[in-house]
Amino acid sequence: MTHVLEVSEVHKYFGGVRAVQGVSLNVREGQVVGLIGPNGSGKSTLLNLIAGVERPTKGAISLDGQRIDRWPAHRIVGQGIAKTHQIPKPFLVMTCRENVAVAVMFGNHKQRESAKALDEAGRVLALVGLEGKAEVISSNLTVQERKRLEFARVLGTGARILLLDEIFAGLSPNELRDAIALFATLQREIGFGALVVEHVMRAVLTISERVVVIEEGMKIAEGTADQIVENPAVIEAYLGVEAARATP
Amino acid sequence: MRLPAIRSFGPTLWGIGLFLIVLAGTAPWIPVFLLTVLIQLLIYATLAYSLNLITGLTGYVSFGHVVFMAFGGYALGIGVGTLNLHPVAGVALGAVVGLALALGIGVVTLRFRGVYFAIATLVVAVAALYIVLEIKELGDGQGIYLNIGFEPLSWFYTIWVILAIEVVFTYWITHGRIGYGIRSIKSDEDAAKTVGINAARVKLFLYALSGLFAGGAGGVYWWTLSGVFPYQAFDLTFSLQMLAMVVIGGMGTLLGPLIGAVAVYIPSYIFLTIFSGFQFIIIGVVVILIALFVPEGIVGSLRKYIPELRGILE
Amino acid sequence: MADVGLFITDLALGLLLGCVFAVIAHGLNLIWGVAKVVNVAHGEFIMLGAYGAYFLSIWLGFNPLLSVPIDAAIGLAVGVGFYFGFLHRELRGKESMGLQSEMVTLVATFGLALVLINTAQSLWTGNNVGIPWSPGVVRVGSLQLPLGGLYVAIVSVAIIGLSHVFLSKTYLGNAIRAYSQDIPATQLVGINPTSTAAIGTALGFCITMAGGALLTVWLPTGIYPAMGNLYAPISFVIVVLGGPGKMWGSLVGGLTLGVIIDVGQLFLGGSIALATAIAFLTLIPVLLFRPEGILR
Repeated sequence: MTHVLEVSEVHKYFGGVRAVQGVSLNVREGQVVGLIGPNGSGKSTLLNLIAGVERPTKGAISLDGQRIDRWPAHRIVGQGIAKTHQIPKPFLVMTCRENVAVAVMFGNHKQRESAKALDEAGRVLALVGLEGKAEVISSNLTVQERKRLEFARVLGTGARILLLDEIFAGLSPNELRDAIALFATLQREIGFGALVVEHVMRAVLTISERVVVIEEGMKIAEGTADQIVENPAVIEAYLGVEAARATP
Repeated sequence: MRLPAIRSFGPTLWGIGLFLIVLAGTAPWIPVFLLTVLIQLLIYATLAYSLNLITGLTGYVSFGHVVFMAFGGYALGIGVGTLNLHPVAGVALGAVVGLALALGIGVVTLRFRGVYFAIATLVVAVAALYIVLEIKELGDGQGIYLNIGFEPLSWFYTIWVILAIEVVFTYWITHGRIGYGIRSIKSDEDAAKTVGINAARVKLFLYALSGLFAGGAGGVYWWTLSGVFPYQAFDLTFSLQMLAMVVIGGMGTLLGPLIGAVAVYIPSYIFLTIFSGFQFIIIGVVVILIALFVPEGIVGSLRKYIPELRGILE
Repeated sequence: MADVGLFITDLALGLLLGCVFAVIAHGLNLIWGVAKVVNVAHGEFIMLGAYGAYFLSIWLGFNPLLSVPIDAAIGLAVGVGFYFGFLHRELRGKESMGLQSEMVTLVATFGLALVLINTAQSLWTGNNVGIPWSPGVVRVGSLQLPLGGLYVAIVSVAIIGLSHVFLSKTYLGNAIRAYSQDIPATQLVGINPTSTAAIGTALGFCITMAGGALLTVWLPTGIYPAMGNLYAPISFVIVVLGGPGKMWGSLVGGLTLGVIIDVGQLFLGGSIALATAIAFLTLIPVLLFRPEGILR
């Protein structure tokens, strides 16, 4: 069955701050949807709402027709939606293998035997190229390696729809090229769907089937990468009114 | 949840098991005076293991743990005094009361972050004392006097059973899938939730069981004193001693609470005969020093600095 | 059913008592907000302040009000000692408390608490003592209020007012407030974090011990080594009610709690103990409904 995540007219207010105002979008399994917008536009908040870390003030979030917006985070993971953290949060006292194994044990799979989970973790680490660091304690990893571990952990949960928060940030041009290629390969092989929050334009426009643009908590555009790039509202949001007017 | 296979019991568990079995086998021949010391040691060890279940394993520091011990004692008091139960049944009642109390308190307080949880447990323990003082059925502030005999062997075997179950239980939950879940929660509770761990349920489970064992231990403790008295029962010094044992022994380890109990109780027993009250000052100072400079405790430090021991000592 | 006169008297008494509660809570608030340490031994420093006033009354015949400045001075010294002895090592380089170090200070200060209680018990025995100072009563309308209670209430409000002025109008005070909100930012504007934290902590202890001295007026026979077990939870409840780090909160919280206890005992058959227990337990619902970083 192909899972579909639907976000309908979701609002999130923090006191007087309207972080998210009436956003709707959907992501289906197998589809990569990019989520872009200027800083502070509410993208990370939206991911938190879907993942159950925060609750929407108004609106509905559904998975395959079932409302999940009031569910606790761990239950949402159990249903196959998992999120990375913008600043990686590995279990610092555990090795990389153990980090991913925990995800395998408690995620969508719910693998009960720890030995099998540890094996599976090794396999997942190999997918992201961290097999050499399997027995390294995660506190000894570089920031980039932690980001990859974060991604491996999310894969380890067996989630069918991934919520990715700036996983391509801070990479050199060569690293970026490799990372994009790796992501595309994995996405093809595993077939997960993803909602990808990004600032690195090259990455998100390459991998996304569709792109949603958010500004000040509201959706201002949606379409293919090519359409988005030429959309005057998007240009205005990023570069200002003058640049928008200058576009033919 | 399945029980781990016998072949996978580690050396530490065998070691503790051997120690307990030898004690149990030789108990009838141990001189009474020494036996009573051992009984107190086992009681404190049981308390330490129970605090270890919540504070050692998840990092949620509880200052109010004495409340389970106290209500265990009162359950014994009511059970034997009013309901005419056999003391062992009274102890069992104490364990049940401890479990129920822990569930009730935990459901609310485990929602709070570390500091606030600690304060909440402290507040509950102090409030409990004031409430118990006012309740007539619980002795109206004077406590409950019981007319039970001096039965060291019964005391010994009762607490032995509780401790043995507790140690095996601690071993079980620190291994396998649940153990990983607990360590994840201690490492980063928010991240643990994002990989699918139901942190609230795990914490409540551990806290409820810590209440169970502490309640049982409390029942035995007040059985040996043939009565239960409010100011003594709710004395926060018990919480200090439990915390000291867990911290000094090594938080979250299997051997830690037992080592901690020996390290704290034996010297304080010796001191008791020399300067009464002074031993708690020393215990307090040691706790401060260990907390600041050697937070891994004895077992943790041994594992850290002597890699060969890591496979054996846990 | 209690009559209105009794109710109003208890209300007034509760407000007067609440002012002193506010002071001891304010001390905790400063230490918590600035040193970012939950000092579990807070009650013991209140106890030391009370005993300080007691001994000054025996040796020098001082009444509690006169003891306040002396206790305050001792508190400053103790605070500096506490900061450099306990906390400096922990806080050096750390901007906020990680789980591990939070647990460590909780355990360490708990150990300190029991060291202090047991030392006090060994030195001064567990018997209750008190300062028999009773300057009489004053009539306000149909109310009869204890002058002692009124005096310390005035002093309490003065202390909190002075503290407020210091914190908002002086350079050092603002530095302390800034530090309690954002340590790296404080450093960036050129404020020395160590001296700021040390002074803030010292001030916290200073006010705490002064509060202990003021409290003795309400405790003609109620000074004993473990009294901190009663006043520490009161302080914690007040600080949480008002919000840790929010400086006026202590006054509001203190008055509220004082009233709850004094008026509450009227409805609970005169049992101060029960009223106090209920007051403590109000902490739980307050924590439940205040989600600012308190809940998981």
